[in-house]
Amino acid sequence: MELLERLFVNIAGLARTLMAGWSLPNSIIELVVLILGIIAIIGLIIVDAIILVWLERKIAGFIQERPGPNRLGPAGVFQTIADTFKLLGKEDVIPRSADRWVFRLAPPLVFVPAIMLYAVIPFGKDMVPVDLNVGLFYCFSIASLGTMSFLMAGWGSHNKYSLLGGMRTVAQMISYEIPLLLSVLGVVMIVGSLNLSDIVAAQKNVWFIIIQPVAFIIYLIAATAELNRGPFDLPEGEQELVAGVYTEFSGMRWALFFLAEYTNMVATAAIAVTLFFGGWHGPWLPSWMWFFLKVYLIIFFFMVIKWTYPRIRVDHLMHFGWKFLIPLSLANLLLTGVGIEIYRFMRG
Amino acid sequence: MPRTQELNLNMGPQHPSTHGVFRCVITPDGETVTRVENHIGYLHRGIEKIAESKTYPQFIPYTDRMDYLCSMVYNQGYVETIEKMLGIEVPERAEYIRVIMAELSRIASHLVMVATMAIDLAGTSNWMYCFREREKILDLFEMTCGSRMTFSYMRIGGVAEDLPEEFIPACRKFINEFPEKMNEVHELLTGNEIFQARTKGIGILPPDMAVAYGVTGPNLRASGVPYDVRKNQPYSIYDRFDFKLPVRFNGDCFDRYLLRFDEMEQSCRIIEQALDSLPEGEIKGKVPKMIKIPPGEIYHQVESSKGALGFFLVSDGSNKPYRLHVRGPSFVNMGVFPELAKGWKIQDVISILASLDPVLGEVDR
Amino acid sequence: MYGEGLIKGLRVTLKHFFGPHLTQYYPEERPILPPRFHGFLAFDPENCIVCGLCQTACPNRVISLKSEKGGEDGKKRILTEYVLDFRYCMFCGLCIEACPKGCLKFTHEFEKATYHPDEISQVMFRKKVEE
Repeated sequence: MELLERLFVNIAGLARTLMAGWSLPNSIIELVVLILGIIAIIGLIIVDAIILVWLERKIAGFIQERPGPNRLGPAGVFQTIADTFKLLGKEDVIPRSADRWVFRLAPPLVFVPAIMLYAVIPFGKDMVPVDLNVGLFYCFSIASLGTMSFLMAGWGSHNKYSLLGGMRTVAQMISYEIPLLLSVLGVVMIVGSLNLSDIVAAQKNVWFIIIQPVAFIIYLIAATAELNRGPFDLPEGEQELVAGVYTEFSGMRWALFFLAEYTNMVATAAIAVTLFFGGWHGPWLPSWMWFFLKVYLIIFFFMVIKWTYPRIRVDHLMHFGWKFLIPLSLANLLLTGVGIEIYRFMRG
Repeated sequence: MPRTQELNLNMGPQHPSTHGVFRCVITPDGETVTRVENHIGYLHRGIEKIAESKTYPQFIPYTDRMDYLCSMVYNQGYVETIEKMLGIEVPERAEYIRVIMAELSRIASHLVMVATMAIDLAGTSNWMYCFREREKILDLFEMTCGSRMTFSYMRIGGVAEDLPEEFIPACRKFINEFPEKMNEVHELLTGNEIFQARTKGIGILPPDMAVAYGVTGPNLRASGVPYDVRKNQPYSIYDRFDFKLPVRFNGDCFDRYLLRFDEMEQSCRIIEQALDSLPEGEIKGKVPKMIKIPPGEIYHQVESSKGALGFFLVSDGSNKPYRLHVRGPSFVNMGVFPELAKGWKIQDVISILASLDPVLGEVDR
Repeated sequence: MYGEGLIKGLRVTLKHFFGPHLTQYYPEERPILPPRFHGFLAFDPENCIVCGLCQTACPNRVISLKSEKGGEDGKKRILTEYVLDFRYCMFCGLCIEACPKGCLKFTHEFEKATYHPDEISQVMFRKKVEE
């Protein structure tokens, strides 16, 4: 158990001692370890995406009383891999009237911020790629970059459906960033730090979901909207906008959008776990296992919600965000502040 | 020189939720729709013209292919038109079987409406639950006439085959289990706040406008006009059954959606009564081998799941119709769509279209 | 209360999530077809009297048959060819009802998709040309 717990930390340590044996300068050793970390994270993202696509289809199938993918491999686990190969082999179509550079740049630009989010997440005990003291701030600033690339995709496609989808995305993501930020501020006020490791450490005894349940619900709703997942999947809006911003994309360009969606989903769930579910804290199992267990539970919840609810209308979405979630999160913030003051007063 | 320009959005003919190949040109102002224009005819097969080159029995399979979701009623309407013109007496048992089949078909069609309404609003799972129920009805049809979609079950003077032995218990079982299964749909979709927000008060069809546009069927009754061919001009043996005419008064998408459930309930009642009083006997009346209709014309209408379905038949005395005109309810109901959709959001256009429940096979014919 | 419907909906989907599947694993698991199932047509040339009623009953002229005079007195018509063009067949069953001898019937065969439209028309019977 101890070995498992320290597995990844030991690998990094081993790499460090190995390179120290070659008498390399310290800066290069750190750089190599960092690159190793990035490779590990990208590997994690791809494996995660493959599992999640399969999981999503399985969950959708199970809810709808059908088995889901079941042909390739045991219970169809290799279906996603086959689909990826199919997507790789597809013709790369760029519409003639599209804004070529914007069109080409959009998919990678969606994907890059999604990966960058992983830099500060504490995956387990002593397992933070970069231990930033403004980790949470970094997360949300990077996450908001994604909006731009959705607009680029919508505009660059030169398609009316894409444009409508792009406009919807911008409106939706900007409006829901505010309640998202306000909801996590409560946690930050209690801990007094933006460092994610500190936030996890502060939850050693009690998870913040017990102290901040309203904030968690607001976070969950706003995060679903940020992720463009059902019932807030308006940018895609399959039933009215065909595929929204993704309409003109095919092959790997399209796949990158989906990879980014799943990557973002894991990241959002990871932040939720870090902020509200005690991060990697948990008995018996190794810390990183606990972490992923909690992340997958939240993702399961996201998926069940997507396959249960109808899509919300665009103006209702705006009303809900501005007239309900933001006032609620402000009230929550006020209550938290008052609570903290009372706590301090009681303790003298 | 920068200038503003109206955006014309082509919805369809290839679009996920235009129920086939319907195309409408939308002029949106932001997300709000200012003008909608119907364009139909992508599925035109010239069925009315085909009728002129087929003998009377030969045309029965074609009636299936108009409204393929409710084809039993189309079969029934067509054969009854000819029986009315020839004055053929249809045996009791055949009439009862026809009513059972037509009402099952109506339930199946309404289930598709509920399912597509759900999926057009992205409630995908509910679609599966409704289709699961429809599948049971299709099994009943398959048991009786061998086909699941295009039955060609009715014949001039009766029906093609008698009910198999296992049909009656299977049908009763379905009728008994049905309300519980629909309860599930109510829990999942009808009670859902997002669904209600997207349908309540959306696309209101006032009764006078509905009548002016000739809207019939559930769409008319949801606007508060109690008109149903089964009640107002009873055909077949519908006057023998005790059933209510469900009417709702708001005329919005939500009422049109709920009215389908009321209708399914009433259809279940009719089927129950018909099964209870199903007489023994012949299933096909005396019909001449070669059907020739004396010169003349006739209009006969029945109530399909979409509204009043009329067949106008002109005969010149030969064994083929001189002219057969079909008054398709979906086609007429579609006329009011541009008026209804005007001023709502793009997403509402989809839910309004879904609540009108057109079948493009019948709109275009 | 607002939100009650949302929670009820989740309960329904979760119930189904842990419930059984209703779909068939088709190629491995064969569908149970009722006796009256409209599959492909089977033709029994032995009893055919070449009356041509099936041909006239068909709405789409799917059936084409050829015959020759023959038999003991040279007056009886003998079937030489019976071809069904399944491209246009609607599987309505009118031909089966028309047949006085019950030569035609539906089978339970339904997997007859072909790659080319020409392959789908079927020669149900062709008289062997004697050398």
